[in-house]
Amino acid sequence: MGLQCCLGGTALHTLKLAAIPSSSTSSSSSSSCRFVFGPLSRAFTSRFLSRHNRSQRPPFLLPLRALSVSAAPPTKTSPDEKVAKPQWKAAIDFKWITDNKDAVAANVRNRNSNANLELVLELYEKMLDLQKEVERLRKERNAVANKMKGKLEPSERQKLIEEGKNLKEELLSLEEDLQQEAQCIPNITHPDVPIGGEECAITRKTVGSPCKFSFPVKDHLQLGKELDLFDFDAASEVSGSKFYYLKNEAVMLEMALVNWTLSQVIKNGFTPLTTPELVRSSVVEKCGFQPRGDNTQVYSIEGSDQCLIGTAEIPVGGIHMDSILSESSLPLKYVAFSHCFRTEAGAAGTATRGLYRVHQFSKVEMFILCRPDESDFYHEELIRIEEDLFSSLGLHYKTLDMASGDLGAPAYRKYDIEAWMPGLERFGEISSASNCTDYQSRRLGIRYRPSEPSGATPKKGKSNLAPPQFVHTLNATACAVPRMIVCLLENYQQENGCVIIPEPLRPFMGGLELIAPKSR
Amino acid sequence: MKGKLEPSERQKLIEEGKNLKEELLSLEEDLQQEAQCIPNITHPDVPIGGEECAITRKTVGSPCKFSFPVKDHLQLGKELDLFDFDAASEVSGSKFYYLKNEAVMLEMALVNWTLSQVIKNGFTPLTTPELVRSSVVEKCGFQPRGDNTQVYSIEGSDQCLIGTAEIPVGGIHMDSILSESSLPLKYVAFSHCFRTEAGAAGTATRGLYRVHQFSKVEMFILCRPDESDFYHEELIRIEEDLFSSLGLHYKTLDMASGDLGAPAYRKYDIEAWMPGLERFGEISSASNCTDYQSRRLGIRYRPSEPSGATPKKGKSNLAPPQFVHTLNATACAVPRMIVCLLENYQQENGCVIIPEPLRPFMGGLELIAPKSR
Repeated sequence: MGLQCCLGGTALHTLKLAAIPSSSTSSSSSSSCRFVFGPLSRAFTSRFLSRHNRSQRPPFLLPLRALSVSAAPPTKTSPDEKVAKPQWKAAIDFKWITDNKDAVAANVRNRNSNANLELVLELYEKMLDLQKEVERLRKERNAVANKMKGKLEPSERQKLIEEGKNLKEELLSLEEDLQQEAQCIPNITHPDVPIGGEECAITRKTVGSPCKFSFPVKDHLQLGKELDLFDFDAASEVSGSKFYYLKNEAVMLEMALVNWTLSQVIKNGFTPLTTPELVRSSVVEKCGFQPRGDNTQVYSIEGSDQCLIGTAEIPVGGIHMDSILSESSLPLKYVAFSHCFRTEAGAAGTATRGLYRVHQFSKVEMFILCRPDESDFYHEELIRIEEDLFSSLGLHYKTLDMASGDLGAPAYRKYDIEAWMPGLERFGEISSASNCTDYQSRRLGIRYRPSEPSGATPKKGKSNLAPPQFVHTLNATACAVPRMIVCLLENYQQENGCVIIPEPLRPFMGGLELIAPKSR
Repeated sequence: MKGKLEPSERQKLIEEGKNLKEELLSLEEDLQQEAQCIPNITHPDVPIGGEECAITRKTVGSPCKFSFPVKDHLQLGKELDLFDFDAASEVSGSKFYYLKNEAVMLEMALVNWTLSQVIKNGFTPLTTPELVRSSVVEKCGFQPRGDNTQVYSIEGSDQCLIGTAEIPVGGIHMDSILSESSLPLKYVAFSHCFRTEAGAAGTATRGLYRVHQFSKVEMFILCRPDESDFYHEELIRIEEDLFSSLGLHYKTLDMASGDLGAPAYRKYDIEAWMPGLERFGEISSASNCTDYQSRRLGIRYRPSEPSGATPKKGKSNLAPPQFVHTLNATACAVPRMIVCLLENYQQENGCVIIPEPLRPFMGGLELIAPKSR
């Protein structure tokens, strides 16, 4: 039963992994890892199969989302074996869940989550009872001690101490179980989010139209070969499949995309960062990912608790872990450039050709920490920035409001952008913007202290500061380099074999206007 | 006996042959294991001895004089809000860091400028995989799996993180025979590098000086054996031009025999003056590995001169393939360059001047100033 987050639409950068809580189906724990074959959750299986059969939906999205079953595999074969319990606590609002259990249950259903709400409520009640019991026992002991004025029988005293100790251990164990179950509960959902599977996503905006070609269109792999821009074969020998070298102008294109994107986003008041790409696995978990499970998206380092990041969202989220920020410092807006590493375990099919799905890539990621009442506003700001970037590059794209079944556990609301890729003859996801409200901050322990003083006159020695609140966090892809390269090569190809470089990028490429075939 | 061999006789001979072959195989393995430890031969001009025997080939510039107390890069970074080691320590562990604000632009500028300068010298730019099979790491002369290894390994896989782009670039032409006309092959590769720095301790590990992850631009050449000395000189010249352009004070060292590392026939290190650390610090290294790596990676070329003899019917007149020579050299190791630039270009008012060549790559920015609060 590890930290299971719901399977939902996994955005390019939000590696949302599927969850199979072994507590609910006792036989599932050992096979939960193989999402094709195991007795997986109904929702997960149906999503995979329906994608397989569906012809019109871009199949490439299949692996990105259907990927990575997260259940940490038990090392023993016993189906009742529990997996490692979380080493940290999420500050989950149990009372709120109990008070709103119908809404929470409906949300769990809408998101096809495998969270076991019944069990959570049950465990929470038990915990409350136990806590009362511990308290009662403590009072009783004190009362007895007072009455006897210290002359308590040693065996009596010992008995009470034992009882107290046992109760506390039981309480601790219960709290751990409660945490483990409760951490599976997905975030609540924005009321405007369409309910249903991925086909229910709403198109918020469409920009441009598919460019018309008067000659046969080539895909990025062919263009890359003819223009000597990548090498997949050598990388396959050196590293394995889905690795690549970029060569010649493709290198300059990557640098230009990163530099231009950074400069554009900085203009919007974001602080630029580069981040560690090795992080402690607990940080990965706190962001809502599952590093250690079969079919995990996450590479782990041997002999260490470290993992490679799949997105800069993780190290940036970790910057303010276990902190209380001043309200005046909010919003904190970061734009981070990093390399990202993904195992893409379980991804198969044609939607993995070339640069479309790779194990390592460069990405520029935006991350915001803000007050709860501002997160909707900043979600709109993030999507606007993304749309401006892609419009500037002349791409034809659509912005989708993702459906409840496609969100991934941390996201309250998620906008994906899909761009037209003429060589692949379909739309492909190039970015994703999520409002995670307080899901991540409750796990990462990021709070702020509201600056308005409470109305009451300060008493001597009493602080008049308002209690800290959890911030809201948001993340959005500003530029996922390989997919941008696919877009640019395929959309800007010319009949003579050249590829035109969009104007905004030219100053970042020393003024280069097009990529031409090399003379031999 | 013309096929009328006794079955038991025959069996005995087969057994004997099989045992001998097994013994041979085992011996070959032992031989390989031991022989692979033999270091490359050494250039005759290389000084014999330990690191103190290195010869200074060239010195450029002199230590800048400061009329105010000099700060080290960590203090400058703190005052200018350029790095965060504390948050990185929580998130990832010690010797990790976030770069912030102008330091990010400085890294991008250093990489972009270096790439553009090296490309002008006829190098093909590359980005490379940063996860590679451990066998490739070994073939380049590194030791991924040993105590105090510098190499991070991936759990449940034969893959490792690269410590330098030399490895994935060396692997490009593994097990190949190149045409002579394609030589020299000159690559300049940008990658992130990961090093465990196991065993490294002491004050020489503060701040950006020794870190687990960093960006680096690396030059790599494959050439004919008779040309490697020439290209070694070309590589060191390119490095010296880069560092002179940035106005650094540095010295180029011809490393001593005890300091070469197994693959290198000859190695030039460049150490730059770091006023905050009050000493010279290594910012680059250029090695001529002759055929040490190519014999392991299996990279050969076919000389194009035909052999003198008249071609006989059916007999090829191509010369037999030879092993290429490989060379590698650091064009830019970003964190150490940042140390150099911050410490050398600090001003009394707390600003840091950006060297001219980098300004066009930083949107024209001329200096890094303290942020107003």
